[in-house]
Amino acid sequence: MSDTATATHDDGHAGLVIENKKLLMWLFLGSDCMFFGTLISTHLIYRKLYPEAYDPLTVYDLELTSFSTFILLMSSFLMALAVSAMHKGELKSFRRNTIGVIFFGLIFLACQVYEFAHFTNEGLTLSTNTFGSTFYLMTGTHGVHVAIGIFWLLCMYFYSYTGKMDAHESAVDVEVAGLYWHFVDIVWIVIFTAVYLIEYI
Amino acid sequence: MSEADYNPLPVAPEAHQDSETEKYHTFVNLALALAAITGVELVLVYLPFHDVLIFSLLLALSLFKFVAVIAWFMHLIYDKLILTLVFGTGMAIATGTFVALGFILSRSNVDMDAITQF
Repeated sequence: MSDTATATHDDGHAGLVIENKKLLMWLFLGSDCMFFGTLISTHLIYRKLYPEAYDPLTVYDLELTSFSTFILLMSSFLMALAVSAMHKGELKSFRRNTIGVIFFGLIFLACQVYEFAHFTNEGLTLSTNTFGSTFYLMTGTHGVHVAIGIFWLLCMYFYSYTGKMDAHESAVDVEVAGLYWHFVDIVWIVIFTAVYLIEYI
Repeated sequence: MSEADYNPLPVAPEAHQDSETEKYHTFVNLALALAAITGVELVLVYLPFHDVLIFSLLLALSLFKFVAVIAWFMHLIYDKLILTLVFGTGMAIATGTFVALGFILSRSNVDMDAITQF
């Protein structure tokens, strides 16, 4: 970063107007939007073209999926608190909230594994029909994103014990990880409505 | 966790602390609203209302959750406009792709007999 840039951020930090890491993460999220947009579009279009291919209501468990959604939303809340704690320089609060996010993320993944196992037992696999292919690809890709987020946050959690965390730079790093986590959450908000809830109408 | 493990970071300026405290209350309120909306969505699909009404309500609630997380949890309303534009471009292309594919691959435009052979 240039030492000559002295503009002040809205959040009180001195430095460049936008940190490079943050801008790059937003660019990545914009491209990831297109990626998930394509996956969700493919699923919905195949559902429209082949409505008779499969009746998902025979396998869906809306209560479980709603619980997963709630868990992911609350993990987003804790992530926002972790970012806020880091901006205030409260390392203990950051660790507490980050562990909460990791725990909730693991619960979400466990629910997804349970759901996949249940679907497979009911005869719906990746190669059963177009519904199975697009459903597993879309929700599986989202699950991989959640797993990467958990790994990333675990790394940050353990890194916080090394004593190498710098007040401003680490706050930006945590904020970037937070952006990724919130993105995973908003993708699920769309999937929950477009893939699960709509089927019940 | 022992106290020895805790490495305090430099304390942020007082004005910054105040803005973070203000954000904390916003985050709590938003989290409660998001949880309540998810509950409402779950109940909505079982209510005996017209499909179009249920669909519209689900769409509106989902859109609210989506925008709220981006605006407050992802700090987009506190950040520079360029970040909104960067993300908005990706969103616009994704939405455009969905709408375009929806029209191109509608049942009236697709030869169903031909593709079902595969």
